[in-house]
Amino acid sequence: MSRFFAGGSDSDSESSSEDEQINKVSQPTIQQVVVYSDDEDVKRVVRSQKEKRYEELTNIIKSIRNHRKIKDIGSILSSFEDFTRAYTKAQPVIIKEEKGIIPRFVIRSIVELEDFINVTWEDKDGRKNMSKNNGKSLGTLRQKFRKYIKDFESEMKKFRENPDQGEYEDDEEDKAVEQDSDSEVEVPKAVSFKKEVTVKEIKPKVAKPDDGESDDSMDWGSDSDTSSSSEDEDPTDLRKKFLKKTTEAEKDEPEKAREKKPKLTRPRKEVVAEPEDDDEGGWETVPKYGASEKPKMFAKDAEIDIHIVLSKLNEVMSNRGKKKTDRKLQIEFLHELKTIAEQHNLGAALAVKIRFNIVSAIFDYNLKISEPMKIEYWSKLLEVMADLMKLLLVNLNDIKLSESITDETEEYETKPYRLRGCVLTAVERLDDEFIKLLKECDPHSNDYVERLKDEVTVTKLIEQVLKYVEVQGTPLEICRVYLRKIDHLYYKFDPNVLKKKKGQFENRTSVDEMEKLCHFIYANDNTDRLRTRAILSHIFHHALHDNWFQARDLVLMSHLQETIQHSDPSTQILYNRMMANLGLCAFRQGNIKDAHQCLIELMMTTKPKELLAQGLLPQRQHERSVEQEKVEKQRQMPFHMHINLELLECVYLVSAMLLEIPYMAAHEFDARRRMISKTFYQQLRSSERQSLVGPPESMREHVVAASKAMRHGEWKACSEFIVNKKMNTKVWDLFYEADRVREMLVKFIKEESLRTYLFTYSNVYGSISVPYLSEMYDLPKLKVHSIISKMIINEELMASLDDPTETVVMHRSEPSRLQALSMQLADKITNLVDANERIFEAKQPNFFQRNQGGYNRQNQGGNQGYNRQQNFNQNKRQGQQRNRMQKNNYHQQQQQQQQTIEEKLE
Amino acid sequence: MNKKEITHVQCDGLAVMKMVKHCHEESQGSMEVAQGALLGLSEGNRLEITNCFPFPKSTDETVDEEEYQLAMMRRLRRVNVDHFHVGWYQSADVGNFLSHTLLESQYHYQTSIEESVVVVYDTQKSARGFLTLKAYRLTPQAITMYKEGEFTPDALRQLKIGYEKLFVEIPIHIRNSALSNIMMSELQEMVQEEEGSHFLDLGTAGVLEGHIRVMMDRVDELNQEANKFNKYQQMVMRQEQEKHRQLNKLTQENIARIAKGEPPLPEEDVTKQFRPLPVPLRLNPMIISGQINTVSQHINQFCSQSLAKLYLTEALQGAKETKETK
Repeated sequence: MSRFFAGGSDSDSESSSEDEQINKVSQPTIQQVVVYSDDEDVKRVVRSQKEKRYEELTNIIKSIRNHRKIKDIGSILSSFEDFTRAYTKAQPVIIKEEKGIIPRFVIRSIVELEDFINVTWEDKDGRKNMSKNNGKSLGTLRQKFRKYIKDFESEMKKFRENPDQGEYEDDEEDKAVEQDSDSEVEVPKAVSFKKEVTVKEIKPKVAKPDDGESDDSMDWGSDSDTSSSSEDEDPTDLRKKFLKKTTEAEKDEPEKAREKKPKLTRPRKEVVAEPEDDDEGGWETVPKYGASEKPKMFAKDAEIDIHIVLSKLNEVMSNRGKKKTDRKLQIEFLHELKTIAEQHNLGAALAVKIRFNIVSAIFDYNLKISEPMKIEYWSKLLEVMADLMKLLLVNLNDIKLSESITDETEEYETKPYRLRGCVLTAVERLDDEFIKLLKECDPHSNDYVERLKDEVTVTKLIEQVLKYVEVQGTPLEICRVYLRKIDHLYYKFDPNVLKKKKGQFENRTSVDEMEKLCHFIYANDNTDRLRTRAILSHIFHHALHDNWFQARDLVLMSHLQETIQHSDPSTQILYNRMMANLGLCAFRQGNIKDAHQCLIELMMTTKPKELLAQGLLPQRQHERSVEQEKVEKQRQMPFHMHINLELLECVYLVSAMLLEIPYMAAHEFDARRRMISKTFYQQLRSSERQSLVGPPESMREHVVAASKAMRHGEWKACSEFIVNKKMNTKVWDLFYEADRVREMLVKFIKEESLRTYLFTYSNVYGSISVPYLSEMYDLPKLKVHSIISKMIINEELMASLDDPTETVVMHRSEPSRLQALSMQLADKITNLVDANERIFEAKQPNFFQRNQGGYNRQNQGGNQGYNRQQNFNQNKRQGQQRNRMQKNNYHQQQQQQQQTIEEKLE
Repeated sequence: MNKKEITHVQCDGLAVMKMVKHCHEESQGSMEVAQGALLGLSEGNRLEITNCFPFPKSTDETVDEEEYQLAMMRRLRRVNVDHFHVGWYQSADVGNFLSHTLLESQYHYQTSIEESVVVVYDTQKSARGFLTLKAYRLTPQAITMYKEGEFTPDALRQLKIGYEKLFVEIPIHIRNSALSNIMMSELQEMVQEEEGSHFLDLGTAGVLEGHIRVMMDRVDELNQEANKFNKYQQMVMRQEQEKHRQLNKLTQENIARIAKGEPPLPEEDVTKQFRPLPVPLRLNPMIISGQINTVSQHINQFCSQSLAKLYLTEALQGAKETKETK
C-alpha cells in the first residue's frame, strides 16, 4: 500500500508508515504497564502535547547517547527504532507548534548518531572484535539509519554548517529535560533488577490488561487533547526497558539469552490480539476525523445558495489528492452535495460543476493507473457521466466549458454560464478505463460479455460528447472525439456494406461513416498522430469490408511503410493490425501475391502474437524486466478486437504455397534460386525431415501435405487437404463469404498445380494435348490455353502451341536434369579455378615484372623455389579439373546418346 | 622391407561374402558405417585374407571393443581359423570413404601391423551389379606425414605428398576352392535365361546425378579451402608490407641516430612485433581433392561400364526380336 502512496500522492513517504507504527508503538507501552503498574499512579501529571512528545524524544536520544558510550549497538538499534516511532508520533505536534521545522536537538542527535555509525563502521578491527550480536545489529542499524535520514538530509546539512549554535540552544533544553528524567532513571533501574522475574511470571496475564489498553488508545485516537495515562507513561517506560536491557547484557549472558525468548514471543502475542482494536483506534478514526465534520456541512438553518455550496465544494475538492482523505467518503459527500443542490434548485451550471467533480473523484478513487477501477464505481461513473451529458446537451448553448477558464472567472448565476472543465478529457479517460476493465476480464467468461455490453453506453456517451463538441469545440477537439469514435468503429464488421455493394441496401453504412470521420480528421488535424491513426483505422475498415482497391490505394498514398517505425508502439500495433487485415482482404479478393506481401513481415518474425499485441510470449531468461512487462501488458488489445492468428498463418502459408511450389518447380536447378517465403520453407523442411509422416492434424500439417501433393501436380489431393471439414471449422468458416473464398482457392490450386505439373514433367513429354490437360485439371480449355500461353510468353516453358491439333509441343531446349546439374558443377568448378588463380597470383605478384628487371627480387628470393613448386602443383590440379570438365561434357553427350537409344528401345 | 612389400591381396570367397553381408545389413537405410576386422596371413608379397568378423556397433557402449576383438580371435583360433590380424574393412557409399578417421585408423593399423590393409566395400555400387571391393594401404610418405603430425604446406611439400599419394590401391584377387568353383558352375546352369536381366537396368541418370551432386559438394568445400588459403596469403602479404614499412622507418631513424652519435636501435624489436600467422592446414583440402579424384574415377568407370551395358542390351534386344520374329 505504502509503495504507491509514495509515488501517487504528494504527501511524504513517512506518513505512509504511520499506520504501522502506531500499532507498534503501543506494544511496549502495554508491556511496561503490566510490569510497573504500581508506579503508575504516582507520576500522573498533565502535560502539554508538545512537552510530552519532546520529553519522550529526548529520553530516547539520551539513552542512545548512553548506549553509544558503551558501544552497545544492539540497544542503539532498538532505541533508534523507538526513536523513529516517537518522532513520527511527535510529527503532528512539530508541524503544529514549530511550523514543520524539526527541532534542533532531534537533528543533532541524528547527526551524532550518523557520525557514530560511520566511525564504527569504518573501524574494521573494532568490528571484528565485536560480538556477533552487535555486529549484526550494526549492519541493520546502518541500513535503517541510512534510509531514515533521507528525509532529514537538508536539515542535517544546515546543522552541519553551524553545529555550535545549535548545541548551545539544545544543551539548555537538554539540561532541563535531563533534570526531569534523571530522577526517574534511578527508580526504574532498581525496579528492573528486581522485577525481572516478574516479567516472565506476569507474561501469561498480558492479554487481560490489553482490553483496557486498547480502549485507551482508541481515546487518544479520536480526541488527542486528553492525553491518556498510558501515553504519559510512554517515554519513561521505554527508557526503562532499554536500561534494563543494557544492564542485563552487562551482567550475565545466559540470562540475556533466557530473557530474549520471552521478549520475542511477547510482542507476537499482542500483535495477534491487538490489530483489530488498534486499527479502529489508530487508523480508522483518522478518516472519521475528516468525515465527521463534513456531513454536517451546512448548518440547519443556513440559507443555501450557490456561493455556500460552491465554497463547500471547493473545500471538499481541496482535500483531493491528500493522503488522509477517504476517497470513498468524498464521493458520497459529493453525491450528497448534488442532491442538496438539486433540492434547492441552484441552476444547471452548479449541477454540471458538481457532476464534473464527482466524475473526477471517481477517477481518483483508483490510485494505480495500471489497474482497472472497481465495477461498482464503473457503473456509477457511467451513470454520472450520462447524467452530465444530458445536462450539457439540454443547456447546449448556455454553458460554456473550457479548460482555459480559471476558477475565478467561473460564472454560475447568469447565462451564459462559464465553467472550468473538459468533457472530452473525461470521456477519453472513461474510454481508457473501459478498455482496461475489458482487459482485466477473462475473455472466455461471461464477465467479459457483461462488460462488453457496456460498450453501447460508452459509445453512446462518446456520441453525446461528439454532439456537444461539434457545437462548442475547436476542430482539434472534434478530431479527438472523432478518433475515439473511430476506435470503437473500425474493427467492427458491417454486413450491410457488402449488401450495399450488391445493391441490396440503401442507407448509410459504417464505411460511409468512417469516410466522413476520417476525412474530417485528414482535413483538420495537425498533430499527425491523430491523422496516422485515422488513416490506419480507415484502411483497416476498408480491408475488413473487402474494399481492396481503396485500402491498397490508401496504404500506398499514405507512405506509412517508411515512417511507421518512428511512431509510438500503439500506432505501430495498429499498423500491424491493419497490415494483417489488408493481407486477409487481398487473399479474399484473390490477390495471392499481395496477400503474401502484406503478411510476410508479420509472419517472418515467428511472433505475430506479440506484434499484434494479442498476448505476451512466455518469458525467456529475463528478456524483459517487470516494468517492461507491465508496459507491454498495458498495450495489449482487448480480446474482442483480436485477429485470429491461426487464420492469419493459414492464409499466409496457403498463399506462400501457391507462389512457392510452382516457383520451386520452375527453378529446380537454378543455383541462384531464392526462396520466396522462409517460414513456409521451414515448415516443408521439417516435415521432410520426419521419417514417418502421418495424416495431417494441425492446420500447418494440412498445408504442408497440400504442398507436397501440389509438387506432383495432384490438384485434387491438394485441394482436399486445404478445403476439408477440419480446415473449414478451423479456418475458412471465419471468413464472411466462406464459400466464395473456398471456390476461389480451389480455382487457384488447379491453376498452380497445372503450372507445377508442366514445369516438373514437361521434360518427359514430346507434346501434350490441351483437352487432356483441361480434363486432368478440371479447367476449361480456354483457361488451360491461356495459362500455357502465359508461361510460353514469360519464357518459363519452352514449347509452342499447335492450334489445329490442340497440343503443346515441347521444344526440349531446356537442359535435362543431368545437364543442368553438370552446368552447375561447371559453374562451381570455374569458381574454384578462379580461387586457385587468385592464390597463384598472390604467390607471384610480379610474374611479368620479373623478366624485366630484378625489382624486389631479394624480398622474394627465399620463397621462390617453393612458389614454383606450388604453382606447378596447382597448374597440374587445374589442368586436371579442366580435363574433368571436358569429361563431364563428354558424359553429357554420352548421356544424350543413351537417352535417344533408350527411347528407341522403348 | 622391400621384400615384404605387399603387391596383391588374395581374398577368400567366404571372407568376401561375410563382408558383403555385414555391410549390407549395417548400412542399409542408416548413415552408419559398417566395420570389421580381417584375418589371414601374409606370405611374401601376397596378403591372404581368409576370414573376417564384424566389429560391434560403436553406439553400444556395454561392449569393450578391444576385449571383444581379442575374445573373437581367440575363439576363431580354436576352430582353426587364421588368427593373424591383417587389417580391417569398411563400407562406403559411392567412394566417399576417404576421411580423417580412415586415414588415422589405417595409420594406427599400419604402424602396429606392417602388412595390414583396409578393404573398402561400396554398398551402393555393388547393389547395382558392380562388385566394388578395394584394398588400400597408406604410402610411406603418408605415414611419415602422420608421424610428424604436421600438415602445413611446407611439410607436405617436403614430403612430396599430394592427394594421389596418400594411398596405394592394391589389387584384390578372389580365390575360391575348387569345390566351390564346381558348385558355382553348377549353379550357373540352373539360372534361367531371363533371370538376372535386371542387372542390365541402366539407371544411368540417377547414378550420374548422385555422383555429380557429391562432386558439387566437394568442389564447394574445396573452394572454401582455397578461399581460406587465399585470405591467409593476403594477410601474410599485408604483414610483410607492414613489417617492411616499420623496418624502413627504423633504418631511417637509425641513420638519424648515428648522425647524432647515438647507438642505433636493434632491428629485432620490430621483427618480434610480427608473429608469424598460423598457416592453414592442408590435410583437409588434400582429402577433399582425393575424394573428388575418386568420384571422377567412379564417373569415368561408370560411363565405360554403362556404354558396355548399352551395347549389351542392344544386342540382347536384337536377339530377342529376331527370336520373336522367327
